[in-house]
Amino acid sequence: MSVLDTIRKYREAGYYKEFDYHWGMTVDLDRCTGCEACVVACQAENNLPIVGESSFAQRREIKWMRIERYWEGEYPNAKLNFIPMFCQQCDEAPCETACPVFATYHNQDGLNTQIYNRCIGTRTCAVYCPYEVRYFNWFTYTWDEPLERQLNPDVSVREKGVMEKCTFCIQRIRQAKDLAKDDDRRKVRDGEVTPACAQSCPTEALVFGDLNDPESRVSKMANDPRGYQVLEEQNTSPSVVYLQKVHGDEEAI
Amino acid sequence: MLSVHNRPPKIQAIAKQEFREGVRVNVSVLEALKPLRKSALLGIIGIVGIVVGLKINAAYSTHLKPVQPIEFSHRIHAGENQIECLYCHSSADRSPSAGVPSVAKCVGCHERIATVRDSAEIAKLNAYWQAQEPIPWIKVHDVPDFVHFTHKRHVLAGLECQQCHGPVETMDRIERVADLTMPWCTDCHTLNQTDNGLDCYTCHK
Repeated sequence: MSVLDTIRKYREAGYYKEFDYHWGMTVDLDRCTGCEACVVACQAENNLPIVGESSFAQRREIKWMRIERYWEGEYPNAKLNFIPMFCQQCDEAPCETACPVFATYHNQDGLNTQIYNRCIGTRTCAVYCPYEVRYFNWFTYTWDEPLERQLNPDVSVREKGVMEKCTFCIQRIRQAKDLAKDDDRRKVRDGEVTPACAQSCPTEALVFGDLNDPESRVSKMANDPRGYQVLEEQNTSPSVVYLQKVHGDEEAI
Repeated sequence: MLSVHNRPPKIQAIAKQEFREGVRVNVSVLEALKPLRKSALLGIIGIVGIVVGLKINAAYSTHLKPVQPIEFSHRIHAGENQIECLYCHSSADRSPSAGVPSVAKCVGCHERIATVRDSAEIAKLNAYWQAQEPIPWIKVHDVPDFVHFTHKRHVLAGLECQQCHGPVETMDRIERVADLTMPWCTDCHTLNQTDNGLDCYTCHK
């Protein structure tokens, strides 16, 4: 059974009768060079604040997307793995069960969403998240002149006491749906939505699309035999499929 | 009527004693109400305060019908002269924002209309035109920053402008009629069975 079938297994029991889309992403770790262009793009697109040195030291940085580094082996033969980590948009999301005010919920596009103006900041969801991808605003962060002019008007600026996380650039999804409606199309075509991270990736390690559509690029990528899901044993059923990195066997060479 | 138990303790005790002894004594109702006078006074002051406060609030909360820099009348433009809404608010059917016309658009018509050319309000318009400055209109229909609202989708769905903005063509000064609250939005979305209209992320961003 491929990874994609595992995902679809959980779809049947879903919250909604019909899912128009199931937005998902594949991350090809073989292509990832750890350049962090996605991290910067995400920060620019989603109005992420720069928390400052003292907050950073207290591990209060806000990065919806981060590159994790894993070293394998000892020095001369050390191998380095990069794993981009962002919200996995789990179908069986632990964070959704935790929210007392229903600020985070699963919508009909298979997205795990966060409504900022509803959030009361209990931080329970961040505790429940096995991927540690939810970030809390400890202060109301500000932008110095003239940096506030680069804020994205389609994304709200969060304030103190609000939890935030990757949304798969929902403002771009909304925009694409809007344009599809203008063309009298019910559904968005493959490739019309690209989140900021996938758009900026120089090696195209990140591929975004609709997993419900078997012809989409992301579905084909997800069927790759290298595919796996992070912390699969947690049964969170993430929408993100990672493609394993293949190390060359030096002895064989 | 005051029952035995509602009376102040002292009177209650006397009354109980009298009841036991079988003596019937008249206890004045006014006498019994005496300890309540303080709270009654506070209550009256409170009610008066609320009424006065509401009056003051109404006088100062001019955001529903603010005085604009130019006394622009929608009644004359949209009502009497039958100018289409989309002629001035030209991006309403192709953009999230309906758009406020530029000063050039106002002047473009008004320099050719002889009957009102010398009026005081047009003089103000000309002053902005000479200074090459935008008119600082005060926004009346404003939704919070966490709301994504697009005029395009609503106009293309066939909604009349008046459905949300009220009878603008009869207003001398623009006034907000709808309260623009979330239930107001979702009521309409429910009624019209909008596609994913009740999903939070349709409107919240």
